[in-house]
Amino acid sequence: MREPKSKYQFWNELGKSVKPRVKELKFSLHRITRSPLSLVGLALILIFAMIAMLAPQLAPPKRLHEPYHIPRDGYAAAPQPPSAEHVFGTTEGQYDVYYGVIWGTRTAFRIGFMVVGATILIGLFLGSLAGYYGGLVDEIIMRLVDIFMSIPTLILAMAIVTALGHSLDNVVKALIIVGWPIYARLIRGEILQVREEDYVSAARAVGCSNALIILKHILPNSVYPMLILASLDIGAVVLVAAALSFLGLGAPVGYADWGQMVSFARNWIVGPPQNPLAYWHTITIPGLFMLFFVLGWNLLGDAFRDILDPRLRRR
Amino acid sequence: MPKLIEIKDLKTNFYTYEGIVHALDGINFSIREGEILGLVGETGCGKSVTALSILRLIRPPGKIEAGEVVLRLQDESSESKHPINLLDQTELLMQKVRGNEISMIFQEASEALNPVYSVNDQVSESFLLHRQKELCQGVLKEIEQDLRKGSSFFRRSILNMERSIYLRMRGNPSSFLLAILTFLPIVRSYKRRMVNQARTESIKLLRMLGIPHPEEVVRRYPHELSGGMQQRVVIAMALACSPTLLIADEPTSNLDVTIQAQILDLVRGLREKLKTSILFITHDLGVVAEMCERAVVMYAGHIVEVAPVDSLFRKPLHPYTQGLLEAVPRPGCKERLRSIKGNVPNLISPPSGCRFHPRCSFVMTKCSKRKPALKEIEKSHFVACYIHHQETEKNDT
Amino acid sequence: MKTYIIRRLLLLFVVLFGVSILVFAILSLFSPEQRASVFITDVKQLRDLQEIIQTHHLDAPIHVQYYYWVKALLRGDLGWSITAQRPVLKALFYFLPNTIELALFSAPLIIVIGIWLGSVSAVHQNRLIDHTTRTLAIIGWSLPTFWFGLMLLMIFYGYFRGLLPPEALSTKANLYVQSAEFVRYTRINTIDALLNWKFWILLDALRHLVLPVITLTVVQCALVMRIMRSSMLEALGRGYITTARAKGASEATVVKRHARRNALIPVVTVSGWLIAGLAGGVVITETIFSRKGLGWWWARAAVQLDIPAILCAVLFNAILFVVTNLVVDLLYAYIDPRVTLK
Repeated sequence: MREPKSKYQFWNELGKSVKPRVKELKFSLHRITRSPLSLVGLALILIFAMIAMLAPQLAPPKRLHEPYHIPRDGYAAAPQPPSAEHVFGTTEGQYDVYYGVIWGTRTAFRIGFMVVGATILIGLFLGSLAGYYGGLVDEIIMRLVDIFMSIPTLILAMAIVTALGHSLDNVVKALIIVGWPIYARLIRGEILQVREEDYVSAARAVGCSNALIILKHILPNSVYPMLILASLDIGAVVLVAAALSFLGLGAPVGYADWGQMVSFARNWIVGPPQNPLAYWHTITIPGLFMLFFVLGWNLLGDAFRDILDPRLRRR
Repeated sequence: MPKLIEIKDLKTNFYTYEGIVHALDGINFSIREGEILGLVGETGCGKSVTALSILRLIRPPGKIEAGEVVLRLQDESSESKHPINLLDQTELLMQKVRGNEISMIFQEASEALNPVYSVNDQVSESFLLHRQKELCQGVLKEIEQDLRKGSSFFRRSILNMERSIYLRMRGNPSSFLLAILTFLPIVRSYKRRMVNQARTESIKLLRMLGIPHPEEVVRRYPHELSGGMQQRVVIAMALACSPTLLIADEPTSNLDVTIQAQILDLVRGLREKLKTSILFITHDLGVVAEMCERAVVMYAGHIVEVAPVDSLFRKPLHPYTQGLLEAVPRPGCKERLRSIKGNVPNLISPPSGCRFHPRCSFVMTKCSKRKPALKEIEKSHFVACYIHHQETEKNDT
Repeated sequence: MKTYIIRRLLLLFVVLFGVSILVFAILSLFSPEQRASVFITDVKQLRDLQEIIQTHHLDAPIHVQYYYWVKALLRGDLGWSITAQRPVLKALFYFLPNTIELALFSAPLIIVIGIWLGSVSAVHQNRLIDHTTRTLAIIGWSLPTFWFGLMLLMIFYGYFRGLLPPEALSTKANLYVQSAEFVRYTRINTIDALLNWKFWILLDALRHLVLPVITLTVVQCALVMRIMRSSMLEALGRGYITTARAKGASEATVVKRHARRNALIPVVTVSGWLIAGLAGGVVITETIFSRKGLGWWWARAAVQLDIPAILCAVLFNAILFVVTNLVVDLLYAYIDPRVTLK
């Protein structure tokens, strides 16, 4: 059989296999725009993305080299309700809520993308190894996956963060350590399924190398489940990171992080007897930001699942 | 033979994303008592939809738009049969008809059986749904025997209580009181006797169908049976209540040829024993020739020809039927196989008039204008084609 | 069946071995001084830090440390918990009842409501009830547990003036429970109140349970509902459903008897993971409502760097997960006749 004569031909062939995928992609985009919930999800994420990008304009930092440090208007403990000066009011210690939630959006995106990006890479790599080579490699990696997945995310993350030290960077590291197994297992499952397919045997029969098979046949087929998982995962990761910050294990006091801001509000749930909801803004506003952020990613992930599931596609 | 069921002008549509699929467009035929009628056609011509429409099993996005399905139902009180239109009846009545008067067996036997219930559970279900009075009778006999055996006071009072429950059930199976009793934790064990009775009946039925060791088979689960056995179980479920009409939707298409022959023999024998009419749906002309007395040919939601089988095979009148018969390979014949030119039409936008006209070698202008009606050309041989209409007109004048 | 259980138990040990290695790996991330501080109960002992390090082999090679650590573990000595001021194992049993109480009321609710809503949603697919439940489910799934709990507290405790308060018991009930008159059989407040025939305590405990249970349930329920819905939709599309209808079974019978039994099978698997994963939600819920249970203890331990307590958290949850998985697999084999235990 003809072997690829030059590197150019290799890329040419790769490109040819991409064309029908582009057509499918267009159909997927078409389906996305037709589903109302997915549009809502997309809209939410776009809004948050804009907030994150325009953060310096929307909430100019007082200290330019430390933009994530929420500015304080005095040192009084009791939170102040929303006013002209502080659009969303202030929380305990007079930290500006508006500033906090705007820059908190950036923090959320940072955490989400860093963790999910890293876990995808690690999970892809280890999962591919396990799936393709099988045998001892597969056993070891899968036992590792089993061990990591037998402990709830929050608990394991708590343990690792305690060991490494309480900071947001360590939260990210801990979540990466905890989060790669799901991708590894997914990719391994896909590989095991695809490995037995006839077109892989055919590819091997014409002399395709292992790496090429993984790259050209297996990975493109598993992109969609990974996409679904990743968008649902971003939401989950942000929630866990917020929980860790809430417990005091993540972002330091005064940092622009939604979870951290809610932890302030713990002491101010009930206001004075004549106005028990006096401090509603300290908890409701950061919480709503969190809710809608995660909701957006979940809606998108759900929409992806409905749209990309081959059985439901062509109705 | 009198007509058992008559289908008049049946129209069924499916409302899908791509458009409205006009699956059945005015179907007319009838099934006589005690006959085996074949319903022939290609995949997608609407045979299964017809069967499901008769039983009113069409679910959204499908809808039975118009027509009548007239069944001559044996009235319980009187001896006579009076006709009812199934499409007008309540769902409750339809549930009494399904599995009882009219039964259906399906193509894929392994799919038709519920994997988490044993054979016994599934066959008994038919008895428990429709034959409660007979089961009560059997149970009462059993209770009488137990009472006569004589035992402790406690035992006898329980037996008496059971007897009164079953007497009530025999009189009124759907009594409200009984429904309440089923909820009470200890009392509900009264159902045990009836379930056992149903089990005995199921074993009897399986034995009649030629299944060896039925006592063991009933304990098994569907995935533990072979394809032929599964199909026999499905047939058992359908025949439990001795229906007057059995609709067989391609029951042998997925089986090996040898098993197919066994099942066909079985079905034929059943007609003799139980006097059941059978609507045999298939795409295999060979099976039609072997099994059926009359045959109905369908194409794209239209009935094109209805005739006794030997008349159909000897002298097919409709161009489509002629094409079908010519396409059958004959051993020893060295000529090239003749297929019908063109493709099966898309039922979302079907051809106007006669739906076969784009593929017909004898097409005329009027074929695309109006759908030809079924006209009797020879004795009991109906065809829906303008070629033969002209001939009858010629004969008339 | 017996051989299967035995084999799974052996597998349990293998996984536990793996978990112990993981836990130990986390432990070794701490410096020897930090780990020595665990054994210090009195500030004066800081002088003897090096001695303590020697005695407990904290600077020995890793495998030696592991050996001693496992040895202590098997003796039941998991160390001393600063936050609990008692040995870790004792602390575990001290805090367990409150958590069990919470789980006892939450888990059945999660499963029952999730299955019911999922079933209803599937049967009435694409109608209003389906869209409503699906929207609620996805919002529930996106809720930050801690925020939701705090909001509930703000409304039902703050705005409604103490209607549904945090903590496990009111002060009055607490005093009574700790007095000599009240016999603590299980140390679970609701059960003990029942056994002691003191209904006012039972009511008090239940009143304190409402908000935590709602907080825990809502988020997890959404997951069960979604799995049940998709599983039910798949079951309803199968051939045996048409057969059942063709037999003349009523729609209710078809859904209940035929579809649901098949649809429950994947849900059982998910429920297992759910129960084991409830720990994460418990940590947050107990912290917010100041219920002194395992979660509350572990959260404080993480903040105050109480190392033995954290490691106990990891070990406990791993064991819980493996045992739950075993139970789920057995249940699976019981429900689905196609599954044979290999």
